[in-house]
Parts: sequence; structure tokens; C-alpha cells
Amino acid sequence: MAPRLNPLTTLTAAAAVLVITTAASSWAVSLTVAGGAALLAGVTGTARRVLLAAGVILAPFWLSLLLMHGLFFPEGRTVLASWGPARITAEGLGFAVDMGLRTSAFVLVLLLFSFSVRVPELVAALAVLRLPPQFGYVLASTLMLAPIIAARLEKVRQAQESRGLVVGKGIGNRLGAARLQMVPLVLGLVHDAGIRAQALDARGFRRTGPRTTYTQVRDSRAQRGFRILAVLLAVAAVAVRIAASLPGGGQA
Amino acid sequence: MSQPSLTLPTPGQRAGRNRRLLEILGAAAIAGTFIYLVLTQPADITGGLGSVSALVALGGFLLGAVLLIVGVLPTLPTSTVVLIPVALVLNIVLGQLMGTSGLPFYLDAIGTVLIAVLAGPAAGAATGALSSIVWSFINPTVLPFAAGAALIGFLAGTAARYGLFRRFYLAPVAGFVTGIVAGVVSAPIAAFVFGGTSGAGTGAIVSAFRAMGDTLLAAITKQALISDPMDKAIVFTIAALLVYALPRRTTFQFPFVRRYNVLAGKEPAKRNA
Repeated sequence: MAPRLNPLTTLTAAAAVLVITTAASSWAVSLTVAGGAALLAGVTGTARRVLLAAGVILAPFWLSLLLMHGLFFPEGRTVLASWGPARITAEGLGFAVDMGLRTSAFVLVLLLFSFSVRVPELVAALAVLRLPPQFGYVLASTLMLAPIIAARLEKVRQAQESRGLVVGKGIGNRLGAARLQMVPLVLGLVHDAGIRAQALDARGFRRTGPRTTYTQVRDSRAQRGFRILAVLLAVAAVAVRIAASLPGGGQA
Repeated sequence: MSQPSLTLPTPGQRAGRNRRLLEILGAAAIAGTFIYLVLTQPADITGGLGSVSALVALGGFLLGAVLLIVGVLPTLPTSTVVLIPVALVLNIVLGQLMGTSGLPFYLDAIGTVLIAVLAGPAAGAATGALSSIVWSFINPTVLPFAAGAALIGFLAGTAARYGLFRRFYLAPVAGFVTGIVAGVVSAPIAAFVFGGTSGAGTGAIVSAFRAMGDTLLAAITKQALISDPMDKAIVFTIAALLVYALPRRTTFQFPFVRRYNVLAGKEPAKRNA
């Protein structure tokens, strides 16, 4: 289901949902959006990866928010409990939950998009948008390079260990070990990049104007219509929010 | 190094002017957003979710970052463009490597600063912004900080242009100043979009300032002023060490390094293009 959609459609949908969630700024909407994203991840079969990645990001964030605002919220009036300078206030907890839910929705929706999109299709779709081709190159290249570079770092480490590198306890020792791994890694990567640049230049990478692509991205009138509708909805949500904040004595 | 090709048309002057306009608009969007956020910050955040501020912060900073990328990327030589993905991965991988060394810093801008020193402020800004956008495919919370990352790249490139990387003791100083600016610009994002910082260490510092009665923005700004300058000083030092560890032949391939005499020492006698 998801791969059949144009990546621009899913991207627009994700962005519109986020804008509307932020504009609505109510915990109920945030919770619904977060739940909806998790549900959609289940339908598209990415639930495990999305939830795992979201958990790694959100767990420390929630902890930090609850400690920060739960214990110290000078603006809070309704004190539930207090000891020393720390006061648990209802307003502080409410603020932490509001912000936490909004960020959860933000993270889940974007992760759902990035884990369900196919990068080659996204790059082809961006080229249609007349974004510079270098942007597509950087995006695709980074996502493909990451595992290669990680593997290379591992190889460098093994090579240095076979030459007697032992990571000791002291900070100086650790820094020395980091240097012994970083310098060969960066040197090799910069060298490779130089070779790649010459190859790309020889194939007209910098030429301007239209380009052909081997990837055919599906698009339809319905999807185009949906994208315009999503953008309009998002703009309307922002307009309503700004209009609502105006009469409140210049409160932005 | 990209020699102008014989068969492909070179972009005209008008295209160049349009790109310059995009760059200026991008920088103006970032600056305008920041000024708006600082001027309107009171009352807003504690009264509610600060919805309009969050929208403005997200929209303005992201728009500025995207304009900068669209304006700068086509002007970069291919040798710089192919280095950008490498820098982005280095941001992540070296950050993790430093993480295992047990030091309490995040050091997630080493690649950005490296590009800025080799290829200049514009390339540095584009790399910083792109880094946040591409990284957000794995961790969406870094997306709103794209403008701050662009600023770090820009300032690092400017420092390199004016010769601060020619003396080893000046690099950390430039990093310290960059950290102050970057921290102040990023604080409104943390405050208005996320309502706090992630991570126990920074959270504890913010809580301490909150306990003294600071507003959320003030507390997060003070926290950023404690951690960011130190962090960026270290990042600039590491980037400088890496640049000097690279062979001359490689670093002097970059036109920016040659034109502004960025690095100490002489240009190698025979250039290998």
C-alpha cells in the first residue's frame, strides 16, 4: 500500500499532519496522531522498527521532561507535593505531558515516513520538483554510505589492534586510540571522495537543466489533488491558530 | 577540482544572482525567526503550549535552512559535494566513537566543521543544514535544529577564511565563540518546539536554573551557554587536528584552502589535481 504512493504524497501528508498537530496544540490531538501513526506503522509492516527507534529517542526525552517540569515549574500554582526547592505542580505535569505527547507525535509521524519511503523513489520525485540534483545525491549517498563507513571504521580498528593498539583506562590513552582510528578513516574517505568527484564530473554531474531518471515514480491526479488539499488544510490550521492568538492582547 | 567542461553550458550570471538571492533570503528567514522568538517569548510558553511560537520556530528555521541548501548546493564544486555525505556520516560515526571514549560531550559537528575549513562558509552552512535534514530520517528531533547547524558551519568557514585555523591555539577559541552563538540560536527551538532538552545531564542543568525561578527560555539558554561553547571548542580542535593530519596534496586540492591560505605551511610544489 505505502510503496504505491508517490513519496511526495506521503511527505506532504506527514508535514501537513505535523503542522496541524502543532497548531491544534491539544494533548488529545497529539495522542490521536501518535496513536494513528503507530497503527499505520502496524498496517504497513514497519511497526517494530518505528517503535524501537521512537522508543530510543523518546524514552530519555520523556524522563527529562517529567523531571524538569514535574519537579521545577515556578509558574505552577496547584502544588501537589513539595520538598525543599522541588515542588510537584499540576501545571508542570500537564505541561510535560502536553509537550511529551506533541513530540511523540512528531517523532512517530516522521519515522513512519522515513521508514516506509524508498529512497531512490524519493530522490526521483525530488528531481521532478526541480530541487538541485546535488540534494538528491547527498541524501541517497549518505543513507547508503552510513553502513559502509561504519564497516570501514571497524576494519581500521581491527588493523590498529593487530598492530598493538590497546585501549587503556586513562583519558590520554583513549584520546590516542580515537586518533589512531579517526585519522586513517578520514584520510581514506577524503581520498575516495576525490576519486568519486572526478568520475561524477566526467559524467556531467554539474550540468543544469532537465535530467532523465531510471526510476519511474507513480503519480496520479488523485494524489496531486490530495497534496494540494493537505497543504491548504495545513495553511488553514496555521491561519486559525494565528487568528485565535491575535485578540489575546498581543500574545503570540 | 572541477575544470569547466568543454561541452556543457556554464550557468549564466542570472542564475548566479538568483542563487545569491536565495542565500540572502535563507539567512534573513533564520535571523527574522530568531528575533521574533526572542521578542515574543514571555508569557507564551507557560500560558499554553506556545503553539504559534513553535510553528514560527519550525517554519522559519526550516525554510531558511532549505533556502540556504537550494541556493548554495549548485554553486559548490563536485569535489565538495561528494565530501558532504562523508561529512554527514562522520558527524554521526565520530560522535558515536567519542561517545565510547566516555567523555561527556556530543561532538556531532566534526564533519561539518571539517567541510567548512576545507571548502568555506557557504559549503559549511549547507553541510550543517543538510546534516540535520538527513539525520532526521533516523532521529526526527534533530530536524528543527537545522538552522543552528547551518550557523555552526558558516561560522567555522568564516573562522577558517580569516586564518584562525593557521594557529593551533586559535581554533578552540573560534569554536568557543561559535558555541556561544549556536547555543543562543538553538535554545528557542528546544524551548518552544520540545519544551525542554533531551538527556539527563542537560535536563538537570535546566532544572537547576528553573528552580531559581528563570523562565524556560532563559534556563535553556543558560544551559546551552554552559555546554555548547566547550563542546564546539573541542569539535574545532578535533577538526583542526584532522585537517593537519591529512596530506598537503589532499588539502591543497580545495580552492578555498589555496585562495585564503587557510592552513599553516606552504603549498606543495607540484599540485596533483
